[in-house]
Amino acid sequence: MTAAFVALIRRDLLLSYRGGGVGAALAFMLAFLVMIPLAIGPDQETLSRLAPGLMWLALLLAVLLTTERLFQQDWDDGSLELLAMAPLPLELLCLAKALAHWLGVSLPLAIVAGPLGILLNLPVDRLAVLLLGMVTGSLALSLIAAIAGAVTAGLRRGGLLIPLLVLPLYVPVLIFGLATTGGDLGPAGATPSLLVLAAIVLITLVLQPWAAAAALRAYFR
Amino acid sequence: MINVPARSISDRALSTLNASFKADRDLRLKGYSDAMQFLANPTIFMRLANAVLPWAWTAAALCFAAGLYMALISSPTDYQKGETVRIMYVHVPAAWLALFIYVLMAVASAVALIFRHPLADAAAKAAGPLGAVFCFLALVTGAIWGKPMWGTWWVWDARLTSMFILMLLYLAYLAIWQAFDDPHLAAGLARVVALVGVIMVPIIKFSVEWWNTLHQPASLAKLAIDPAMLWPLLLMALAYTLFFLCLHLTAIGNEITARKLRAARLKAIAST
Amino acid sequence: MMDLAAAHAGFVIAAYAISAVFLSVLLAAVMLRRRRLSKEEQKLKPGGDGK
Repeated sequence: MTAAFVALIRRDLLLSYRGGGVGAALAFMLAFLVMIPLAIGPDQETLSRLAPGLMWLALLLAVLLTTERLFQQDWDDGSLELLAMAPLPLELLCLAKALAHWLGVSLPLAIVAGPLGILLNLPVDRLAVLLLGMVTGSLALSLIAAIAGAVTAGLRRGGLLIPLLVLPLYVPVLIFGLATTGGDLGPAGATPSLLVLAAIVLITLVLQPWAAAAALRAYFR
Repeated sequence: MINVPARSISDRALSTLNASFKADRDLRLKGYSDAMQFLANPTIFMRLANAVLPWAWTAAALCFAAGLYMALISSPTDYQKGETVRIMYVHVPAAWLALFIYVLMAVASAVALIFRHPLADAAAKAAGPLGAVFCFLALVTGAIWGKPMWGTWWVWDARLTSMFILMLLYLAYLAIWQAFDDPHLAAGLARVVALVGVIMVPIIKFSVEWWNTLHQPASLAKLAIDPAMLWPLLLMALAYTLFFLCLHLTAIGNEITARKLRAARLKAIAST
Repeated sequence: MMDLAAAHAGFVIAAYAISAVFLSVLLAAVMLRRRRLSKEEQKLKPGGDGK
C-alpha cells in the first residue's frame, strides 16, 4: 500500500511538472504583484504595511487557480476511475493527490512568496516568520483545495464554484498566517499563531481524505 | 485488457492495479432498494406534515402578532441608543436562524450520508434557500442597525464578518444543487459541502473573532439585556423559528412532489 | 409606543420593512411552487393523460 501511495504522489508530481501547474501559478503571482502598486499607489510605507497581507492573498489566489487540475483532468480521461479500483483506499488516494499538489505547487509558491514580498517593501525582519507561516499554512491550502477539487471533479464549467467553496475555508489560514507577522506580537512572539496554524493544518489533514473520498464516491455511484 | 490512457499511469502503478471490486458496487445495489423504500416514507411524511402545518402556521402568526406588538409598541427604548434598539428584534432572530438552519442542513446531510434516508437529502436541500434568506436579512438588518450605532453602513466587526462568510457558505451549498443536473450526484456532493462547512464554521468564527480583537482592542459594549427586552426578543425568535418550520415542511413536500414528477416523467420517456 | 419622530426612526422602519418584504417573498415563493407542483401532479393522476 505504501508503494502505491508513493507511486501516486510521484505520478502526480511528474504530471504537474510537465503540465506547468506551478509555472502558471507563479506567473499569476507575478502579474498580481505588479497590479498591486498600480492599485494602491507606490508609497513605500503603505506597501510595507500591507505587504504581508498582500503576499498571503497572492499565495491563496495562486493556489486557488491550480485547484481545477487536481481531480478534473483525471476524471475527464477516466484514469480516476481506474485509480479508484486499485487496492489503495479512496481516502489515501485523495490524500496522495493533495500531498502531491502541496509538494508540487503550494510549497514552492509559499517559499517564493515571502522573498517576492520584498518587491512590496516587506520589512526584512518579518521575512523569516512570514516564510515559516506560509510554509506551514501551505499544506492546509492544498488540502482544502483538494476537497473542493474532488467536489467539482466532474464539473466542466465548475471553475466559478471553486473560489466560492475554497475561500471561506481559507479564512482561518489567512488570519493566523498573517498573525505571525503582526504588529506587536508580545512576549510569545509568533509562536502561538504558528501553533494555531499547525492545528488548522492537522484538522484539514484529517478532514480532507474523508471529504474528498465521500465526494468521489458520489461521482462513482 | 484494460485500455489505459497512455499519459496517466506509470508501469509501477499499473502493476499495483487489480480488478478488485470496490464497496461502491455494493452500495449501488443498496441504493436501488432504498429507492423502493422511498415510495413508502414520503407519504407518511406528507400526512404528518399536513396535520401539523395548520397548527404551526397559527402558532407562528400568533407569535408574530405578540412579538411585533411587544417589539414595536410595548418594549422600552434603550437609554443610550434610542429607538434603534428595536432593530435588534428582527436582526438577532434572523442571525440565530441563519446559524441554526446551517447546522440543521449539516445534520440532515449527516443523516443522509449515514442512513441513506432520501428524505434527509430533501430536508437539507429545502433548508438551503431558506437559511440563505435569513442570513441575508441578518446582514442587511445588521448594516441598517450599524449606521445609527457606528455611523457607517458596514463595519468589519467579528459578527458581521462571520455572517458574511456564512452567506458565502450558503451560496456555495446552493451552487452545488444548481451546478449538477443529476439529483443523486448533487445530493452526494451537497452532503460533503454541508458537512465540511459546518466543521469549519467554528474554526472560521474563532479566527474571525480573534482577528477582530487584534484590530479593535476596545470590545464593543455588549447590549445589556434588560428583562423587558428579553421577552420580545424571545417571542420574535420563536415566531421566526415557527415561520421557518412551516416553510421548511412545505418545501420538503415540494421536493417530494418534484421527485415524484421527475420519476414519472422518466418512466414515461423510458416506456415510449 | 415607538416614537416615530425620533432621530433614527427611519432606520427601524427600514429594518422591519425589509424583513417583512423578504419573508413575504420567501413565503410566496414556497407556496407558489407548491401550487404549481400539485397542479402538475393532478395532471398525472386520473384526469390527466398519464404523460
